[in-house]
Amino acid sequence: MKKLNLRLFRMIKHSKGQNIAILIVVITGLFTYTAMNSAITNLETSLLEFYDLTNFGDVYVQMMHFPEGEVHNLENLDNVKEVDARIVFDAPMITSNRDEKVSVRIVTVDKYENRINKLFLEKGSRAIGDREALIQKQFAEARNIAVGDTITVQINGVRYPLLIKGLVSSPEFTYVMEDEQALMPRPDKFGIIFLEKDFVGLITGMKGIYNDLVLTLEDESKYEETEKLFKNRFDKYGIIRIIEKEDQLSNSVMFEEINGVKQISGFIPIVFLFVAAAILSAMISRNVKNDRLVIGILKALGYSNGQVLWHYIMYAVSIGSVGGVVGIFTGTLMSGVMTRMYLEFFYIPLLKVKIDPMNIISAVVLTTIFCTIAGLYGARRVLKISPAESMRPEVPKEGNRILLEKIPSIWNKVTFTWKIVFRNIFRDKKKFAFISLGAAFTVAMSLMTFWLSDLTGSMFTDHYGSFMKMDYSVKFSQPLSRNALIDLEKIIKPDYIEGKIEMPFEISNGRLTKAVNVIGLQQGSRFFDFKDYQGNTVDLPKTGALLSYNLAKSLEVDVGDAVLIHNYIPGRSDVYVEVKGIIKQILGINVYMDISHMEILTGKGSYNGAYMNTKENIGEDLNSLKSISGVQSIGEMQDAFMEYLDLTILAIVFMVIFSGLLGFVIIYSMTILSINERSMEFSSLRVLGFTKAEIFGIILKENSVMSALGFLYGLPMGKILIDALRTVYVSDLYTFDAPINAKNILYAYIFTTICLTIAQLITYKKIRTLNFIEALKSRTS
Amino acid sequence: MNVMSEDYNIMTNEKQIARSVMRNILFKIENLSKSYQMGEVTVEALKDVSFEIYDGEFVVILGPSGSGKSTLLNIIGGMDVPSSGKVYFKEQDITDYNEKKLTNFRRKDVGFIFQFYNLLGNLTARENIELAVEICEDTLDIDEVIRAVNLQDRANHFPSQMSGGEQQRVAIARAASKNPEVMLCDEPTGALDFETGISILKVLKQVNQEFKRTVIVITHNTPVAQMADRVLKMRSGRIIESYTNDTPIDPERIEW
Repeated sequence: MKKLNLRLFRMIKHSKGQNIAILIVVITGLFTYTAMNSAITNLETSLLEFYDLTNFGDVYVQMMHFPEGEVHNLENLDNVKEVDARIVFDAPMITSNRDEKVSVRIVTVDKYENRINKLFLEKGSRAIGDREALIQKQFAEARNIAVGDTITVQINGVRYPLLIKGLVSSPEFTYVMEDEQALMPRPDKFGIIFLEKDFVGLITGMKGIYNDLVLTLEDESKYEETEKLFKNRFDKYGIIRIIEKEDQLSNSVMFEEINGVKQISGFIPIVFLFVAAAILSAMISRNVKNDRLVIGILKALGYSNGQVLWHYIMYAVSIGSVGGVVGIFTGTLMSGVMTRMYLEFFYIPLLKVKIDPMNIISAVVLTTIFCTIAGLYGARRVLKISPAESMRPEVPKEGNRILLEKIPSIWNKVTFTWKIVFRNIFRDKKKFAFISLGAAFTVAMSLMTFWLSDLTGSMFTDHYGSFMKMDYSVKFSQPLSRNALIDLEKIIKPDYIEGKIEMPFEISNGRLTKAVNVIGLQQGSRFFDFKDYQGNTVDLPKTGALLSYNLAKSLEVDVGDAVLIHNYIPGRSDVYVEVKGIIKQILGINVYMDISHMEILTGKGSYNGAYMNTKENIGEDLNSLKSISGVQSIGEMQDAFMEYLDLTILAIVFMVIFSGLLGFVIIYSMTILSINERSMEFSSLRVLGFTKAEIFGIILKENSVMSALGFLYGLPMGKILIDALRTVYVSDLYTFDAPINAKNILYAYIFTTICLTIAQLITYKKIRTLNFIEALKSRTS
Repeated sequence: MNVMSEDYNIMTNEKQIARSVMRNILFKIENLSKSYQMGEVTVEALKDVSFEIYDGEFVVILGPSGSGKSTLLNIIGGMDVPSSGKVYFKEQDITDYNEKKLTNFRRKDVGFIFQFYNLLGNLTARENIELAVEICEDTLDIDEVIRAVNLQDRANHFPSQMSGGEQQRVAIARAASKNPEVMLCDEPTGALDFETGISILKVLKQVNQEFKRTVIVITHNTPVAQMADRVLKMRSGRIIESYTNDTPIDPERIEW
């Protein structure tokens, strides 16, 4: 080993505490980068491969009824490549547990193979006939259903036992949600089954009629023209909504997650590498300063500027390389675990956990750039050191009066130790900035974490409980009259029931359009608590509509504006509705109207669903009713959320550790640097009779003042982070709009104080073991 | 007295001329001046200094502290640049050298020895020597040099485990093993006690005689001048006297 490298190695070994601290930061940064990027690359490439293999559809259309005879005409429509016409509807599944409410979405398929959204066979056989079904794999696994088993599904009030022929996966259902408001899959309560087209046509009386179309396009970029053509041509069959591939529920959730993680995986490592680089640069700068004589000797021996500079840059690069290798290695291992965690939510049959060399290369490049810049910046003074000058004692740094000293009325009252504290703080402004930045980082990141934890914790309880107050939401298989609802009430005997109309419509304001469920409610409904962003109660208006905040934002409308509701119901026209209020809704986007007023859209007097409250378990009663096609239990939704919460808690724990780590490492490193740099000063104080504790007190006071500033600007920094997170995770499905509350701030401050205090206490050891007499011998190299 | 002194000067000059005819000039210093700023004060460290150093000589530059000895040595060694004047090394003007050439000059041709040894604390004695040798060509055998300075048993010790004399011997070995044209020693005995100082001077003499290296020692310690082939006396940035020792004495016989 070259002797300079040997010296470097010993130098690193000598200050191992600080180096380990920096290593941890580098490792954490690279670990997150590699783990997240690799997991997301695995997910994305596998998903795209899966889409390719199964010919994932480009456009999804929900129709009232689309006659078989028009399929051919649709195929001939300009830019349409292939068409798959299907019947899709939800139905209850009858299980041995009579209290359990399980529903399935029935999707019709061809006997042998589909052209679009081909099913990926996992087990059994693809070919199906009458009374035979293919079942989505996750649902089958969650419910322990195997090939050869029989399940019973109630369609139009008739129970059909269906023989399971195969377990399949579909690109349309990699993430299975009942609707936009469910947010999370409940694989044991809701699944997809695929039945043969003619068989379903026969038992539902819909032979030759379809309510769902999937298209592939010749040229995806011409989607809008095709949509227009389609609407002109087939509007008469009642177009409920047209969904482009990007907005297809499963696909959009997948890509939201992928893009969100991509952005975070770009941001977090940069913060960590930046902090590591800043500390490294400060350490190298201190080393160069302390090594002034050594640098002079090396130059006297004939070492060139480049060689000496490289010696110090090597220090940064070595730490970076070791941290990089460990971070990339552990990150790659973790990416497997993360990918499997994703599998709990997303199911991609072809998912490959593989190592992507590009991710590793980019991680290496990223580390090298950061460390080299840190090294160069920190060691740049090497170039200025002349060997002859380095042999002479350094001229003492010029002392300047600080601003505070110019105000004698204050300065004269300041004690001696506080004078030292203030002078040091203001003389080394870079250190001041860095320490306060360390505290600010920790405050900001922990604030974001506590805010996020508060938000996810309250998201569901706020939505299901405070905002929506029903125990059950049921869907009717046929629209029911007021009298029929009264009959239903007599059978189920809930504590309280209200009929509703919930129908999907396209809402637009000029060119901005959204397809959402419009919900018609009774005046004075007990099931919703509408509030605006200021927390004021908003009453359901008799005319006009309430829009959820996210919807109003994406349509760019305000109270008093009118939105156009496109009516797909044959014979009924489009309607302009005034926005009477904008309400806070955490999950999903909706329009709420008075049920009587909604008749302008739907026609007179019918309900297609109901909300009810009951303390009894009414699952069995509901399942037995022919008129009910689906039941959502709010309690079960909350249970599902609790499972999801485990994962969130894990993520939050990681984030708390990360944010604490940053503050800890910055304060620890900078304090150790400070002690090393000022050993002469402290030694002199010791000679003057200062105790070790008093000297530690000076450092503590300095750091406290510097951190206090960080505590102040950490708050706006945290808000910026939170706003960034809100932008990253902007979605129709949920809103990250909770305000930052005093509790979040208090927790962030307490947490940061703890981290910084621990870092400080550890540095006390350095003060205790510092050899003051040795430090007074200034000419040591 | 004045006459005698002039006679002496004439005699020594004649001898010097005779020697210079026989020996090559290694350094030729012409009208060298150096001033630098210390806060608000301008210090004139060297004032119009001129002299020559011959190949293989043992030269002692004698003078009190602040007389400009170290500045002179630093400029000769390519560690510092003069304000004016020239330094020729083997007829090459090193004051014209750029940073790269100066580095190369220090690497190949000069071996420095400092008052406070200036070893690298986290390298052992042997490693300190290797540090210098690694970047040079045509170096001496390290083991041989270590033996010559009598450090065989201490070679693997760190500087902090060695006495001042031992550390200075490592510094000499480090400078000598590069096989430079000239060894420049800045108060090599300044931080040592008498006996250790003598032992260091012996080693320097040995390097001069056995390895045939030119050695320039600067010191404020007058008795050291007795071992030199030639002595340059300095005061207030000028050479005030230059003379040749006809019979340089053995370092062991020096006393102070």
